[in-house]
Amino acid sequence: MGDTDSVLGRLVGSPRARLAALLAPSGGLLVALLFAPLSFMVAVSFARVSDASRIIWHPTAANYTALVDATPFWSTPFVTSLLLSVGIAAATTVVCLVAAYPVAYALARRDRGRRVVFFLVLLPFFTMYLVRVYSWYLLFGDGGVLNDIATVLGVGPVDAFGFGVPAIVVGLAHAQFPYMLLTLYAGIEAVDFDVLEAARDLGASRRAVFRDVLLPLTLPNVVAGSLFVFVPAFGSFVAPRFLSGSTVLLVGQLIAGRIDSFNIASASAAATVVVVLIAAAFGVAARYTDASAGGDH
Amino acid sequence: MASPSTRSRLLGHALSAWTVAVLAVLWLPLVVIIVLSVAENAATILPFTGVTLAHYQATLQDGALLGSVANSATIATLASVLATAVGVPASVALVRYDVPLSNAFRVAVVLPMVVPGVVLGIGVLISIRTLPGITPGFVPTVLTHAVYGLPFVVLLVSARLAAVDDTLADAARDLGASPLVAFRDVTLPAIAPAVASGFLFAWVRSFEEFVRAYFVSGTTDVLTTEMYALLAYGTAPKLNVIATLVLFVLAVVLAVAMTAGDVVSAVTAGE
Repeated sequence: MGDTDSVLGRLVGSPRARLAALLAPSGGLLVALLFAPLSFMVAVSFARVSDASRIIWHPTAANYTALVDATPFWSTPFVTSLLLSVGIAAATTVVCLVAAYPVAYALARRDRGRRVVFFLVLLPFFTMYLVRVYSWYLLFGDGGVLNDIATVLGVGPVDAFGFGVPAIVVGLAHAQFPYMLLTLYAGIEAVDFDVLEAARDLGASRRAVFRDVLLPLTLPNVVAGSLFVFVPAFGSFVAPRFLSGSTVLLVGQLIAGRIDSFNIASASAAATVVVVLIAAAFGVAARYTDASAGGDH
Repeated sequence: MASPSTRSRLLGHALSAWTVAVLAVLWLPLVVIIVLSVAENAATILPFTGVTLAHYQATLQDGALLGSVANSATIATLASVLATAVGVPASVALVRYDVPLSNAFRVAVVLPMVVPGVVLGIGVLISIRTLPGITPGFVPTVLTHAVYGLPFVVLLVSARLAAVDDTLADAARDLGASPLVAFRDVTLPAIAPAVASGFLFAWVRSFEEFVRAYFVSGTTDVLTTEMYALLAYGTAPKLNVIATLVLFVLAVVLAVAMTAGDVVSAVTAGE
């Protein structure tokens, strides 16, 4: 496909010029509003910021050492929040994966009701995130709706419905679920189910077919979907803000708090660490997705 | 031991039950929002004291709040138009041409979807604070949201492009159509549903986006930052009303989109 196009391109005009014209607008936008600001932020993380919020370009690692300045070093607010964020993002990813895989499988295998299910999945996804989190805020808590219902049913109040880590995981999983579902569906839908039938005919158990055939075939989608859930959850701000009950602090809240208190250099250093960790996650994920995804859907 | 057909029927029922349960959890907060929008006591569901339209009346009389809705709709429209205008050519380049470093570009285009809003928000904020002549406000919010919407446009459109046969466009060019005309008359109609889906996704993501707007919108009143301020004071009955109204509008738009074009296959790249 690309070969015929580049041959044609050479005949019609300079393909290089056309390619540049096609890519320059989006490339420019990405540079101006993603790469330049993030690079500037990294630069600021190595600079000093005066009390009057003036940036003094004098290279220093002080902003970073301050993030881990305690004994033991993991007891600083930054490292604590970072580790907690990783844990919560991982839990959110597992919840989404477990919830979404059977649904994606059912959607890929059956035509009946597929449109309705997609409609019902996409609509919550399109509902204002802030209000959804507010809704979970009303549902959770000691006096929240879930505990009211549990009390009416005679089993409450239940500790698990209080604010804190479980509530944050639920709120984040609710927000990121469609990314996981759509990514998994695309993978399972593309699987040749004759291969699974053949494995069954040859005596493999359902469990073995899932473990040895279906899961490996859809692994790139599992990894990609997990990335789409993990990374935004890792840096989340709104969900923990409303659902933590002020019991825990995630790294997104910590960074926002430092900006609000004009501690720009420290916020930049903390955000840079987050960006580096995300880049590392992408690097690890690329090892599992590139081979079979190859950019072809 | 049950027979194989019984077991596969059981498995089918289990899958259905799981799907219904997941959908129920997805819809739980939406039901709460819709119920509270008409509840006399908007603070909580139980005890439910009665139905009222008072919150709707109060919301529709709140000029400042409606102004921020209009602002957010304007920002979302400009941002998604921009995202679509730059995203469609990028998709064409990525799918139809041999782009050097195309995988790197693909990753770069997806990044705005996953870079945490807090990180991007403060990055843009401290950058524009340093640049002379630019202040946080309307334009930075539009541009920041355009970048946020870009991945949705590129992912949906390039998936569709990859599935569309491009020999027709080749034929049109062989017969003398310029690349631009061939694109407009042959390729664009074929990918139109995906372009529309991408635009819709980008629009919604911008309209409901909070963290980036919180940092870069400055004194421009944006719906989500207004909502955030209201929530900080506790219950906010008007938020349930706005969310419910937006939900119904989007339900209609989505239903029309899913009937007219194949949103599902556009979204999932399934053919």
